[in-house]
Amino acid sequence: MTLLKQIFGPELAEYNEWQLRWAVDHLTGVLAVMGILIPIALWFFWSSLSRIRHRAKKFSMFGLRVLAFGFLLFLMLQPELEFQKSRTLQNSIAVLLDDSKSLAIKTFPEEVRRIDLVRKTLDVNRDFFKKLSEDFNLEYFLVSDRIEPLDPAESDTRYQPRGLNTDFTRVFSDLQKQFEGKSLQGVLLFSDGADLTQERDDLSRDLLDRLTRFQGPLHTFQAGTNESFRDLAIETLEVADFGFVHQPLRLRVKVRASAIGNKNVPLVLKEGERVLVSRILELREDRPTYEVDLQFTPNFLGKQIYTISLPVFAGESITSNNRKDFQVKIIRDRIRVLHLNGRPSWDSRFLREVLVKNPKVDLLSFFILRTLGDDVAASTSQLSLIPFPSNLLFSDYLNSFDLVIFQNFQYAPFIEAKYLGNIRTFVQRGGAFAMVGGELSFQGGGYDRTAIEEILPVRLARQRPLYLKDEYRPTLSRKLVHHPMLRLEKESGANRKAWNSLPPLNGLNVGLNPKSESQVLATYEKKGPSTSYPVLVAGEYGEGRALVFATDSSWNWNFRRIGAGGSGRYYQRFWNNAIAWLTKDPETRPLQLETDKERYDQGDEVLIKFKVLDENYNPSIGRKVRLTLQAPSGERRTVTMESEADGNGSYQFVPEQEGFYRIRAQVEGPRKPMVEETSFGVLSETAEFRKPRVNEFLLQKFAEVTGGTYTVLEETTDLSGHEFENPEVFLQAKSKTIPLWNNWWSYGCIVAVLFFDWWMRRKSGLS
Amino acid sequence: MHFLFKTFLFLLFLSLGGGPEPVQAADYSKMTLPILKYRGGNFNPRPQGVRSLLAEIARRTSIEVNREPVVLELTHPDLYQYPFLYMAGDAAFDPFSEEERKILRHYLSFGGFLLIDDNSSRPDSPFDASVRKMMEALFPKIPLQVLSRDHSIYRSFYLINRVAGRVVNHPYLEGINIKGRTVLVYSTNDLGGAWSRNKLGHWTYDIIAGGEAQRQRAIRLGVNIVMYALTLDYKKDMVHLPIILERLRRYHSQ
Repeated sequence: MTLLKQIFGPELAEYNEWQLRWAVDHLTGVLAVMGILIPIALWFFWSSLSRIRHRAKKFSMFGLRVLAFGFLLFLMLQPELEFQKSRTLQNSIAVLLDDSKSLAIKTFPEEVRRIDLVRKTLDVNRDFFKKLSEDFNLEYFLVSDRIEPLDPAESDTRYQPRGLNTDFTRVFSDLQKQFEGKSLQGVLLFSDGADLTQERDDLSRDLLDRLTRFQGPLHTFQAGTNESFRDLAIETLEVADFGFVHQPLRLRVKVRASAIGNKNVPLVLKEGERVLVSRILELREDRPTYEVDLQFTPNFLGKQIYTISLPVFAGESITSNNRKDFQVKIIRDRIRVLHLNGRPSWDSRFLREVLVKNPKVDLLSFFILRTLGDDVAASTSQLSLIPFPSNLLFSDYLNSFDLVIFQNFQYAPFIEAKYLGNIRTFVQRGGAFAMVGGELSFQGGGYDRTAIEEILPVRLARQRPLYLKDEYRPTLSRKLVHHPMLRLEKESGANRKAWNSLPPLNGLNVGLNPKSESQVLATYEKKGPSTSYPVLVAGEYGEGRALVFATDSSWNWNFRRIGAGGSGRYYQRFWNNAIAWLTKDPETRPLQLETDKERYDQGDEVLIKFKVLDENYNPSIGRKVRLTLQAPSGERRTVTMESEADGNGSYQFVPEQEGFYRIRAQVEGPRKPMVEETSFGVLSETAEFRKPRVNEFLLQKFAEVTGGTYTVLEETTDLSGHEFENPEVFLQAKSKTIPLWNNWWSYGCIVAVLFFDWWMRRKSGLS
Repeated sequence: MHFLFKTFLFLLFLSLGGGPEPVQAADYSKMTLPILKYRGGNFNPRPQGVRSLLAEIARRTSIEVNREPVVLELTHPDLYQYPFLYMAGDAAFDPFSEEERKILRHYLSFGGFLLIDDNSSRPDSPFDASVRKMMEALFPKIPLQVLSRDHSIYRSFYLINRVAGRVVNHPYLEGINIKGRTVLVYSTNDLGGAWSRNKLGHWTYDIIAGGEAQRQRAIRLGVNIVMYALTLDYKKDMVHLPIILERLRRYHSQ
């Protein structure tokens, strides 16, 4: 090495090893070919030297030729000098601590958690690990479906059963990457073996492949046993993320029972404290799994939280899997409209057409085709009339509708007065009601001093006349110009133009005095003695909404506008807007509340967004919004925010608990507070509890394949018998290669030899 | 069901006594049945026909009617105040101009309804020829079709199983459907002749061959046509079907 350093210079001083390498590709092939060709060529050459008598000359010439071939072979083999700097490696031992959630499961009868068994073992064997760390590079990792380095000093705080999944194939793959270029002489694995990706009595090919790549043994230490394992679990729940109100919603539940015995247990589905459906499961000792189909009918819109649960038995290893909370967003499949018409008319015919054409509407219409005073001049069997099912409609099925429209409809004698009270309750609880004008509406229909008058946003005056035949253009309220019902066009200029393009109305119910909390959207400003008659009035009653449209000529906006060269588009839009507003379409709510996601993982930040409009549907800036966040434990906290530009605002926080949070936004309104609610879920994956049993097969196989040992942990397990080889291993840190053939010296030598050979031959008279 | 039955009887037989005070109907909300005036031929051969039908409608149904006759040409600016037109005739008439055809096509396509009544009492009359020629020009791609027996017109108020007018030239109605709605109905049986009463209340024209029962069928058909124009396929809603189908079954078996 010293000589080489002198030859090749001081820059090689840092290297401590060298070796000669042949850079030629297919070294063996080249040697084989040259080993045949060179002797043959030399034999021919030797034969050609037969005329030379002088032995010394003959051998000199042959020697030159041998030298020439030698140089040629040297060039072809491309020799290189490789200088290396290498150092001794410290061997490593990996300690893998399974921190998946299943480690929280207790082993009976001692009632010791699996993770506590591991902790105890680590503690009892402190000296063993200390000794190991002196001889090896001892590295600790938390493993589940990933590996995470662990400082043993932090193990008390960081070693917790948190991992969402167990996947040893991925763990070993990551471990082998982690120790690439290092000398891993062995692995100590502390686990319950409950790998969710493996069968209980089989090892996948991938996992086997990973195990065979380990250089040293993998010693496995089983935390917990299956003795006395007792558990009743909701293993899986299949349910759609959304359902339709008043439509059956189905769910499938898979229940697993381990050592529960022969028992009948109730499986109960609840919404809050209300039991929706329950089923008795007949558990049998010899049958571990049960699939149950349940069905219930949600009655309320919005994000609803449901709980499905099984009873908890004494001695169960896991109690958290006996209950499962889930959230379903209940939406309307269609808006169910009950449309009652006092008599067939063009107004009712065109409105019915709009309702039928609206794909969101499920319509049930009734026309009163004859009154009690009409003489049909035919027997009942010759009529297509059916009895008006007021009892069914207003008692049994009223709550299945979202909107009830009375169009020029006089309730007596078709509906008993007591049913008007049902309609009031229906609206109070969130239903919608609209009364469309005509001779049979309002006072003409006898609604003054009834439950209907309470719902309506107007008071009905006992006066004469009750009807004006004037033709007029309704005047829109300036302050309510952004009301969603009046939005025929998005842009306000175009919207104003659209309203101006509508033909006049004719006919108006009068004697309607708007209630103080109502919104008068349009009026008829009668000339002469200044009188303002309400035409379109909106209001709220309880949780529901009500509308008064005091004319039966809105069809003018359709057919007459078509006759004037326009279309019925605005007529349809107006009524669709009215339906959307009445049924509280989210876009028509003055307070809007939402989260950026429906479900979050633990640790995710939740973004709550809100928008506040004032009572006139204009963006409300600087309004105080009280956000009340109710955690799954019931704990509440309130923050107060202010709406910013365009009435928008947001709040971010990281939820601390698992489960479903409820958010309630409240804004003080001029009459009553505006309230909006939503919810979101913070989910912690519970897959670990789907296969909670210890998998001893897997741990035994790991040890067997890698030449390690398998041990079932007890509180006093001694690890000192586990030893690892500690060979000297070198690591090449740096290298440098110097080619010996690719330089002028090599080429010069061969040329010189060939020239001398040629010169000798010429001198000897050879060609 | 007991209560339903009682309600039905109540609807059928009891008077409105004790209800709220009725309000005088405003004119615009009443059903008006304008007579279409056209060039050539005779646009109003049954002058009392419409008035008489409206009187029957008022007497038999809840529809409020305006009995004053209204005569309109297609080019009249008030055409679109009346979504129902009645076109009668007993003689050949001049073809509609291109503009008139355009107006009528637009009127029918966007909500209007036209009842054509051949009052000539003859099959294949000159009026009939003019109507069919006009139809071909009006909707070249949509031919007049016989209305099927389950069409809503035959069950919009009365259950009708025989089509008749003053005469029975063809025991059916023909019509044109656009987007699921029948926008035009054509009768060749002189409905107006069967409906007509003079001011004293006597029938103006005798019924040919069928007697008074046939006249009643014609009046019922007129009521149903108007009712259909106002309620469309309402009677095909699911809630009505079971009862109507049961009555039809019994009615046909009589």
